[in-house]
Amino acid sequence: MVSKLTEKPLASWRGKDRYEGRILDTLTVIFRSGGCSWNRCRMCGYRHERYPDLPRDELAERLIRQVRWVKENFRDEDYQVLKIFTSGSFFDPDEVPPAVRRAVAEAFRGKAVIAETRPEYVDADAVREFREGIDSGDWDKPLHVAVGLETTNDLIRERSIDKGFSYADFLRAAEAAHAAGAGMKAYLLMKPPFLTEREARDDMIRSIRDVAPVADSISMNLCTVQSRTEVEHLWKQHAYRPPYLWSVLDVLISSPVHILCDPVGGGQMRGPHNCGACDGPIVKGIADYSLSGDVGLLRALAETECGCKEEWEFVLDGEEPFCMPLTR
Amino acid sequence: MSRYEAQKRDGLARIGTYEYEEASVSLPAALDTDALFPTLRERALSNVPLAIDPAFVQNYFSPGEGQPVAVHPLAASAESGDCVMVANWHTAEKNPRNYAGWLAALKEKLPPDTAWYAPAAALPSTACLLVYSGFDLFDYRGVDLASAQKKFCLSEGEFPASMMETGVCGCEGCREGDLARHNRLALDREIALVRHYVEAGRLRELMEARCRTDAAQVGILRFLDRNYAFMERSLPVARAVPMRANTAESQNRAEVRRFADRVIERFVPTRTDVAVLLPCSARKPYSLSRSHRLFVNTVNRRAHELIVTSPLGLVPRELERVYPAGHYDVPVTGYWDREECAFIADILTRYFAAHPYRRVIAHLEGGALTVAEMAAEACGIDLEVTCKGHPTAPGSLHALDAALEGERRMQTDTIRGTVSWQFATDINTKGLQLRGRSMQMAVLRGKQQLFSIDAGTGLFRPTFEGWDLIPEGYRVRIDSFVPQGDVLAPGITACDPRIREGDEVLVEGPLAIATGRATMGADEMLRSKRGVAIRVRKVKKLGE
Repeated sequence: MVSKLTEKPLASWRGKDRYEGRILDTLTVIFRSGGCSWNRCRMCGYRHERYPDLPRDELAERLIRQVRWVKENFRDEDYQVLKIFTSGSFFDPDEVPPAVRRAVAEAFRGKAVIAETRPEYVDADAVREFREGIDSGDWDKPLHVAVGLETTNDLIRERSIDKGFSYADFLRAAEAAHAAGAGMKAYLLMKPPFLTEREARDDMIRSIRDVAPVADSISMNLCTVQSRTEVEHLWKQHAYRPPYLWSVLDVLISSPVHILCDPVGGGQMRGPHNCGACDGPIVKGIADYSLSGDVGLLRALAETECGCKEEWEFVLDGEEPFCMPLTR
Repeated sequence: MSRYEAQKRDGLARIGTYEYEEASVSLPAALDTDALFPTLRERALSNVPLAIDPAFVQNYFSPGEGQPVAVHPLAASAESGDCVMVANWHTAEKNPRNYAGWLAALKEKLPPDTAWYAPAAALPSTACLLVYSGFDLFDYRGVDLASAQKKFCLSEGEFPASMMETGVCGCEGCREGDLARHNRLALDREIALVRHYVEAGRLRELMEARCRTDAAQVGILRFLDRNYAFMERSLPVARAVPMRANTAESQNRAEVRRFADRVIERFVPTRTDVAVLLPCSARKPYSLSRSHRLFVNTVNRRAHELIVTSPLGLVPRELERVYPAGHYDVPVTGYWDREECAFIADILTRYFAAHPYRRVIAHLEGGALTVAEMAAEACGIDLEVTCKGHPTAPGSLHALDAALEGERRMQTDTIRGTVSWQFATDINTKGLQLRGRSMQMAVLRGKQQLFSIDAGTGLFRPTFEGWDLIPEGYRVRIDSFVPQGDVLAPGITACDPRIREGDEVLVEGPLAIATGRATMGADEMLRSKRGVAIRVRKVKKLGE
């Protein structure tokens, strides 16, 4: 009786998110899938979390069991927004068989869903079918397709991430998503490897300006050092440092639109950090801003004094591609 | 126009001049490199870490526009005269094994007559290591960062800024309470000191002292020493200054191993089949000491005298004036540690395997005797011990005299021993005489001088007639010109790869031959386009 066996997602948690101007309860689920078809990004820690090669039926079966587990472990009324990650592409039929998508739509009908995918799988028909499946009429846009654009700079995306698609691919995907009645969410990545602190900050400021008119929402991830990744190797060799929280504040303050930003790993050596003394309030402040949109809070934090600010200012100005990272 | 020329070397370290556009700077030095190279900061998105995979280097590495030329261990290419910038070298120090490996890869691929820039790497605590590693040009990024971090920089390391008030430094910056000024001055001062040690040919000793406060630096020193072939190539064959062997790392100096290897592989001992092993003396050369005068008188030419010593291992009497035998100094406590014993016993073992004797007499006590016993056991020699208490005690000397009773007398052949050690050739010394006293010695045949002896280094300096005795080796081929004064590197077409800085060489060209001394090693002679390669002593035009 295989089908009775439980199958848990890789991770799932409840939280709050700012969604279309309101603070809503969110359920985030990371499904274990067939694995990302690209699977090359330098900082991706999910490369090892895939199912081994399974026949498509069995893969579908296992994924559906994960859906069932979510339904059994979280009450419908506890959340309004569902964020789906697969550590790859939700709309890649090889990774997530279409039958699974239909099961997800049926299980979570009525929720506002955000599903992550690479742009090449944003097919208007598939997106429309899924949107119609979940749409109960309660939401203006019940589906947002989320794409890990990371940056609008193709050179950085290729060099620093090895992402394998271009900004033009993203723009085409956005068009397809919009045509299918879905929203478009862009994930940006602050400070992938091989960037100076200044290059990393400027890359985010520019990317946000570029993508703001195209994306319905923007979420900025701060690069962290995850186990068994290329970034971890570089970090161990003193060749990589996650961004300063001061730089993150800089980016968020200068953004013309609200940016979602969950400072995961904030204040730790492997995550975005300052000196250790001033990190706590800034990490909390960024998380609060992400919900409230209160830029004033960020400005106040950026004004606070700490001994490490002078170091950060020096690094911002003095770190160059040929002498980096200057600090740990 | 970008040019670099080294004027003085000490291993990988150099003192030289770098010229770029209008600027001419003497290196090593810390400079405002953003001003020296106005386009330096226009290298956006060009980071390639040292520890990255070859594919990334191939796809994304760029040397940049103009000067300096960025290099990477996997993509090292530059022209003579360039300033090469080893990007991100400040991160290398964290991994001693990689540091040594990358450095060797870079030095072997790049022309020697290039100035080496290590961006953001120099601190008062790292400058010595960087210069020792062959870097010449530095910036103030590292110390300015330390200032921004409220760190007080000394050669011993980085300390909280509050240390400035404790009076450890009395510089202008400290007097004015200006941390940034102190940190820059501390770096300048350290580089000036390092430079002094390079000038003096004693940087190794400063390096052995400086590395003590940082395990990574000790590690780097050891990893570099392990790459003997790489380090030995750039070391002078001899120096005229003391070698202070005061640390555990001293015995790893390439000069120590080179001396021992030559004693085992090149040296031709005086013809005798009795060896007597003697203890060393603090006074150098040994024969000037009271104890050795007693030994020499007692042995009375009836045995080949071999001095057992740390860290050199074994110094035959013939070589006692040659560097570093006549120059080293060690702390003497009477205790020989196991590492030392094993190292020296190994040298003795190899020596006795290469040069067998009928009798080996050990006129030794303590650690030196232990070492001799270890070696005797390893090569199956019956050691005769003649010490009864202290080696100079009457009883000991009497026993030594008695042991040599009836052995044939013969003259110590210093000429054959030194020439074989220095030129790897065996010469017939019949009719040759060593004349003169310590500071003014020469080898003559009748009235004709064949060699003079450098009182500073103990090396032989052949005249043209002296070179006639040395059939091959230590030759430098030059183009069709008659050397006037010095021979420059670009004039050299070929040379013996065994030539090291300080070696006596015979210059041979279609138009002239000349005697002289190498001021750079063979590797640099062949790969450089600039610099004095040979200081010529005598020139003889051919066909006259």
